[in-house]
Amino acid sequence: MCLSKLSLANLLSVGLLAIASLMLSISAQAGEKVYGKFPVTLKGYSGSKTNSVSYTGQIARHVLHDSLKKLAAKGNGKPNPKLKSLMMSYYSGKDAGRAIIAPKTKGSFVVKQTLVDQISKNKNLSGKTYKGTISGMPNNMTGPELVTFWIDKASSANKGVDSRNGYNYPQLISKFIMGSVFYNQAVDNYLDEKLSATKKPNNKPYKKGAAYTGKEHSWDEAFGYYGVPAHGLSFSGKQLYLIAKQKPEGFSIADFNGDGKIDLYKEMMFAPAYYAASYDKSNKTSYGMNISNAFLDGRRLITSANGEILSDSQRSQLRKYAAIIEKNWQMTLAESVFKYAGSVYKDLKKINASMADEKDKTKKAEKAYIKHWGELKGFSLSLQTGRTKLGGDTAVRLNRLIGFGPVMPNSSQVVDIDSNGNYVKDQSSGIEEYMLHMLKVQKLMIDKFNVKARKNDQLASLDQMIEKLGDSSSAEND
Amino acid sequence: MMVDWFYNEYLQHLLESLVDPKKRVSFGYLIFAAMIGLAWSAFMSRNSWRNGFSQGLRKLFGKRVLFSRSARADYKILLLNHGFLLLITPFILSKVALTTSLFFLLHEVLPSGSAYFSSIPFWTVSVIYTLFLFVLDDFSRYIVHAALHRIPFLWAFHKIHHSAETLSPFTVYRTHPIEAVIFTFRGIIVQSSCIALFVFIFGEKVDLVTIYGVNVLLFIFNLSGSNLRHSHIPISYGRALERIFVSPAQHQIHHSIKRCHHDKNFGAALAVWDYLFGSLHLSEKNMHLTFGIKNRSKMRSHNLATLYIHPFVEAFREIKVLFRKHEEIKKDIINVT
Ligand SMILES: [Zn+2]
Ligand SMILES: [Zn+2]
Repeated sequence: MCLSKLSLANLLSVGLLAIASLMLSISAQAGEKVYGKFPVTLKGYSGSKTNSVSYTGQIARHVLHDSLKKLAAKGNGKPNPKLKSLMMSYYSGKDAGRAIIAPKTKGSFVVKQTLVDQISKNKNLSGKTYKGTISGMPNNMTGPELVTFWIDKASSANKGVDSRNGYNYPQLISKFIMGSVFYNQAVDNYLDEKLSATKKPNNKPYKKGAAYTGKEHSWDEAFGYYGVPAHGLSFSGKQLYLIAKQKPEGFSIADFNGDGKIDLYKEMMFAPAYYAASYDKSNKTSYGMNISNAFLDGRRLITSANGEILSDSQRSQLRKYAAIIEKNWQMTLAESVFKYAGSVYKDLKKINASMADEKDKTKKAEKAYIKHWGELKGFSLSLQTGRTKLGGDTAVRLNRLIGFGPVMPNSSQVVDIDSNGNYVKDQSSGIEEYMLHMLKVQKLMIDKFNVKARKNDQLASLDQMIEKLGDSSSAEND
Repeated sequence: MMVDWFYNEYLQHLLESLVDPKKRVSFGYLIFAAMIGLAWSAFMSRNSWRNGFSQGLRKLFGKRVLFSRSARADYKILLLNHGFLLLITPFILSKVALTTSLFFLLHEVLPSGSAYFSSIPFWTVSVIYTLFLFVLDDFSRYIVHAALHRIPFLWAFHKIHHSAETLSPFTVYRTHPIEAVIFTFRGIIVQSSCIALFVFIFGEKVDLVTIYGVNVLLFIFNLSGSNLRHSHIPISYGRALERIFVSPAQHQIHHSIKRCHHDKNFGAALAVWDYLFGSLHLSEKNMHLTFGIKNRSKMRSHNLATLYIHPFVEAFREIKVLFRKHEEIKKDIINVT
């Protein structure tokens, strides 16, 4: 009796042990593709932190961007200083108490934070916006000047749209910030200067009292700007898409710790990662996966240095990961330019085809046109804010083809901005000519970047037909 | 490297082309051609059908046809040209580049077309496109062929095809490399302009009507025994039809040595071009044709080196003649004034 009891207890404990170890191995497996936690490697750190990963400031900026985009669509068509100052507080302010306007709880997709400060305090976007001149717009404005100009215009536009000149400000602002803040900060700052031997060394804290080293934190900040959930590195493009769109199916994927709420810091998707996922969904590309893997590999490499200064070979390996991130990120922007040039082309075709008596149809097509043009312009400017600034010729051609504003159905187009900030318009060579420009933009993205997802491909029919006829080399006589 | 290229590129490509329904001389079409040829011989025979059938067999597969010096040269030229084309293809104008530039050019010179034809149904567009491509392709073949005959320094190169004295389907590849380059350009230009024009006008609606991936009209043309034009079986279509379609007999007339047959029947599939431009010659009953070129020129050889190199000599001579004429005219003008 006694013996059997003992053996039963033994059996039970062995079984439990087995289950426990199995669970451990499962969680270890799931943890393989999670960004964090990574141990504190900093020598001489005396604080209580055990995780060296931190990129709250970047997530706060994603939230500021998402919120600003929402605010930009709130105007009623009349000058609105209150709205303008509210927008500016999200762009350049650092005030406490700013509410998160987006992303917000949506049905069963419950979001944990409601205030920006709950993620990170004293953050703004303007301080991190690309300071160079934006040659794709008039008057040699810097990045922050351009965003401020657009915020001013948006505050007095009807729902953020100027239908006379063809500007959709929420789209322009948002798509431009995606490049001039997130992409630029990541690839031109954290993954560039800060990977050098002299800056932010790995044997010193990033800043006084921090739990992380210079290199650890530089890498993490770049990761934060990409905007993928920490546990989402091995998710498919489709899964990531569901999270970004806050779909009910996306919630269970996103809620990693199972607390019934989505932590914006660790469990949410933001714009750059969202666009990568949207192209990867086609299975023609793997931009998101490449970027995520490179971030993880790089972070592991830094952690493995264990708080020592990085050797030249370690840094050169890190540079290789950085190059993968940069290239793939750039590709997502080029794909976006390609996609929206195609949208604009299609919209113009519709506008051209709709009859004079179909006012509703024409209105709808024009609205879509202005929106897509804003995305095209924003992304095309973003593409020029990378580390290499896109090499003169491509940028010049891109800016000339797209222009400072869309060609409106009456053939007018914004050609300048005067010193009072008013648009100057002129007659362009017309919609047909502009449609041709859009095709050339697509061609340029193919020639210069070899884009692969090619959404809204307006040249695809040509390729398909060429394919169908087979090769033409022939020695057949008659 | 050479060995690699030979197996992976040359041989593979060659074998593929033998079963590719896009190529005229491929397995399926040849079988159909043989059946049609034999049936014709049996049916048209003045003696018994058995007699006709065996005569047909001899005309198609006889040793004097398939292994004549002329035929052996055909095979060698085929194998050489195949390698030549593979090597030069990367350097020839790309079809993608030309199509895209033409497509862009159309946008520049014409208002965007697609909008105005949005009500035409999908299948109609496909039918028009397929037909248009076939007709334009055929017409361009006619023009190029006529030019090869009428322009002396081009004729120097086309002679190699006409130097064949026995005809088999493989004679279609008895072509000078310079001609092959011309034919390739012709194909690229025709296809590119067709695609660019139709996609410009009809947008995404354009599609090719195909059978086994081939333009349906081309498929019918090839299946109906187009290979027999290079054979000794004189299939004719009758006076009415031969004004529309080129019969095998008509192309055999094109290869005939007789003076009155010279520069006739340039057409590939359609005879209408010959009819319109006055180069048509209908087939006749009981023709006894001799194939080849008449004069005692060097090109009567079946020696490969001669066939490949001599045209350059002749072409050069022709160009010199042209220059001399030009000079003489100049002198005349000076003398007159
Ligand atoms: Zn022939
Ligand atoms: Zn000929």
